Amino acid sequence: MAEDLNWAIGGEAGDGIDSTGKIFAQALSRAGRHVFTSKDFASRIRGGYTAYKIRTSTDQVQSVVDRLDILVALTQRTIDENLDELHDESAVIYDGERSWEAEYPDHITGVDVPLKSLAEEAGGAIMRNIVALGAACEITNFSIENLDEALEKRFGAKGEKIVENNKKAARLGQEYVAENYDLDVDYDIDETDNDYVLLNGDEAIGMGALAAGCRFYAGYPITPATDVMEYLTGRIDEFGGHVVQAEDELSAINLALGAARAGARSMTATSGPGIDLMTETFGLVATSETPLVIVDVMRSGPSTGMPTKQEQGDLNMTLYGGHGEIPRFVVAPTSIDECFWKTVEAFNYAEKYQTPVYLVADLALAVTEQTFPPETFDMDEVEVDRGKVVDDDTVDEWLDEEGRFRAHANTEDGVSPRAFPGTIDGAHMSTGLEHDELGRRTEDTDVRIEQVDKRNRKVDTARDQENWDYREFGNPDADNLVISWGSNEGAMVEAIDLLEDRGVDVRFLSVPYIFPRPDLTEDIEGAEKTIVVECNATGQFADLIEHDVLQRVDRINKYNGVRFKADELADDIEATLKTEAKAQ
Amino acid sequence: MSSDVRFTDFKSDKQPTWCPGCGDFGTMNGMMKALANTGNDPDNTFVVAGIGCSGKIGTYMHSYALHGVHGRALPVGTGVKLANPDLEVMVAGGDGDGYSIGAGHFVHAVRRNVDLTYVVMDNRIYGLTKGQASPTSREDFETSTTPEGPQQPPVNPLALALASGATFIAQSFSSDALRHAEIIEQAIEHDGFGFVNVFSPCVTFNDVDTYDYFRDSLVDLKEADHDPHDYDDAKEKILEGDKEYMGVLWQDEESVPYHQTHGVTEDMTEIPDGAADGTMDLVREFY
Repeated sequence: MAEDLNWAIGGEAGDGIDSTGKIFAQALSRAGRHVFTSKDFASRIRGGYTAYKIRTSTDQVQSVVDRLDILVALTQRTIDENLDELHDESAVIYDGERSWEAEYPDHITGVDVPLKSLAEEAGGAIMRNIVALGAACEITNFSIENLDEALEKRFGAKGEKIVENNKKAARLGQEYVAENYDLDVDYDIDETDNDYVLLNGDEAIGMGALAAGCRFYAGYPITPATDVMEYLTGRIDEFGGHVVQAEDELSAINLALGAARAGARSMTATSGPGIDLMTETFGLVATSETPLVIVDVMRSGPSTGMPTKQEQGDLNMTLYGGHGEIPRFVVAPTSIDECFWKTVEAFNYAEKYQTPVYLVADLALAVTEQTFPPETFDMDEVEVDRGKVVDDDTVDEWLDEEGRFRAHANTEDGVSPRAFPGTIDGAHMSTGLEHDELGRRTEDTDVRIEQVDKRNRKVDTARDQENWDYREFGNPDADNLVISWGSNEGAMVEAIDLLEDRGVDVRFLSVPYIFPRPDLTEDIEGAEKTIVVECNATGQFADLIEHDVLQRVDRINKYNGVRFKADELADDIEATLKTEAKAQ
Repeated sequence: MSSDVRFTDFKSDKQPTWCPGCGDFGTMNGMMKALANTGNDPDNTFVVAGIGCSGKIGTYMHSYALHGVHGRALPVGTGVKLANPDLEVMVAGGDGDGYSIGAGHFVHAVRRNVDLTYVVMDNRIYGLTKGQASPTSREDFETSTTPEGPQQPPVNPLALALASGATFIAQSFSSDALRHAEIIEQAIEHDGFGFVNVFSPCVTFNDVDTYDYFRDSLVDLKEADHDPHDYDDAKEKILEGDKEYMGVLWQDEESVPYHQTHGVTEDMTEIPDGAADGTMDLVREFY
């Protein structure tokens, strides 16, 4: 892999950290470089510590690492928080005219730039971060013209003057470093002719929903899922759809359920605390056989937990949540581009099988921006399968002898016909009560068994008809098997390379389907050692796999609120492989 | 849509299990008559029902219907209407469903002013669970869970609606078949959220708010020279508390329903069998 550069800007919430970082990320992307971003952030509007980190290379990057090469520090805390990641070649850009004295170890190169003064010279102190970007360009030999396009994109709406001032601020920062420093640190950022798009997981889910024909979205703001709603707001209207901000998550899922009953492709997105509330209605969605996509962007729990931190703790809730036994699908995208494609799939599963689908993403996917070639999201590849929908002409096939529509007909594959309201002669009742084929409440023991079996049979049908495979990486013949789900894929794929350099071969299975899921029995029985990697304390996915295969696995769990990093994961795997195999 | 739709076309072949004499019979009959009188038929009508005795209404009517979870009928009805504005949407539930577990949704559904009809079958008691206090029970109404009465003032649903910015507030009585159907009809025809609180007596568990009580005490606004477009007059009548009214208390003539204020007029059910034209532009936005 080509040499990567790790850059970050950090300060207090309210310092414009995010937008500055995004401008630099876009500049790198426009220069044909791959970018992978991450955020250290807190649930507060002002103060504290927040950072936007960029890893960039001419090759695809899909993980963060424990190394920081260039840090723009607006506060001392930014330096302190990142001390472990700074190394002999690192440079810290700071403003020596500020009230705080920057303290950092001798082995790090300090680059003191009067950010505020230069920004004022360009037209306003508010542009001090942009001065820092110019300084960073000089240190990395990155052509400052690349910044211009990103600045135009960010500030274009505010007028030509603002854009020009920002361009000037960047150049002042660049010139200051060029004139005052002869730096040993030497990072050349190469450019390529490639065009990339830069997006995060929430945006990919939103775009996937629009591609799939989602026309109704209801949600309640919650970190880290709000970006899905913000993305869809306005854009969905272009396609004849609508977003409703509900009064709570109880309402959000019921609004979405209503739209789905009317025949629209419908979705809601939330995080764990919202899933808690939505679980009330989840059984109704399944029992009334309503197609609905429910997105859970997981964050650290339980209760309010650590709302801006990473965790994969909701697997059991999405798999088992709700009273009674509820047929469902649980799909968990493993990368940002897969957030798009799995959303498209989720809508098809929901409608083909008239069953709720949990799309389970995590914070690390949601808030990370990553570059992709635009053809990754080839809209011509999107297929929409609405399942067994009947119309005015075909509804007759599903009427009983008295002309009543059999909305819950007990079919061989378990899937019944679906008549959108307005279909002539299709009028029918649906309910969360146990019901007969017509949707009318019943407590008849035979009908109960028939309907429960019918609803469960839909999942069996889906298991047979769809592809529930894992994604495979590494050496297919390796004795060591690593399994994970969700966002860990990126770090693990990079860890494979690191491990290979150390002479450790692994086969890696990244599993995007939690239910139904692939049968891993042969894979695990064929391996000498199996390790399941996940961001939670108890190993929920490992439990599931042990149950499937009736064999113990080793576990690597991380639950400090921070995602796995490639180099850290390589170390953990190497260490785990050296331990004795657990008793079977 | 045939003009010869009769109200019995909205009747399912399922016999109600409501107690003989239950007010809900009359409430439902009036709803069916009003739907037929306003030119609707079962195939363009969507009824959403909550939980409780009232919630069974979807089963006894013939139309598209969803019988949902307790207290959440209004969000469901809102979703149905926004996804397909051509449908006639009627949401029905009880006082517990609407003013207790679903009170939050009531406030916000009123605010949204979606063009649907909300019928609350208010019997001032929890009937299906066999006689506990409801949010509209009187302060001194003794029940199994409130032996000395709730000792807190009942919710005034009309005032709650008014404070939330309602554009149509009416009250009705299930036993006055003509007036009841007439009031529901007006709610259906209202351009916006048509809210009707219907006194629908429980003959088994409420011996206070009885047919006789309402017959004796209800003042019909039709005979009281009330102008429903006079906000101050409506406010006074809703808040005064010593009288109970039947009829339309308040109707905002300027009401603009949600689908107009938000430009939600398209039927969302029709989509292409692949990604829609213009979706590639979504990708280009991320350059």
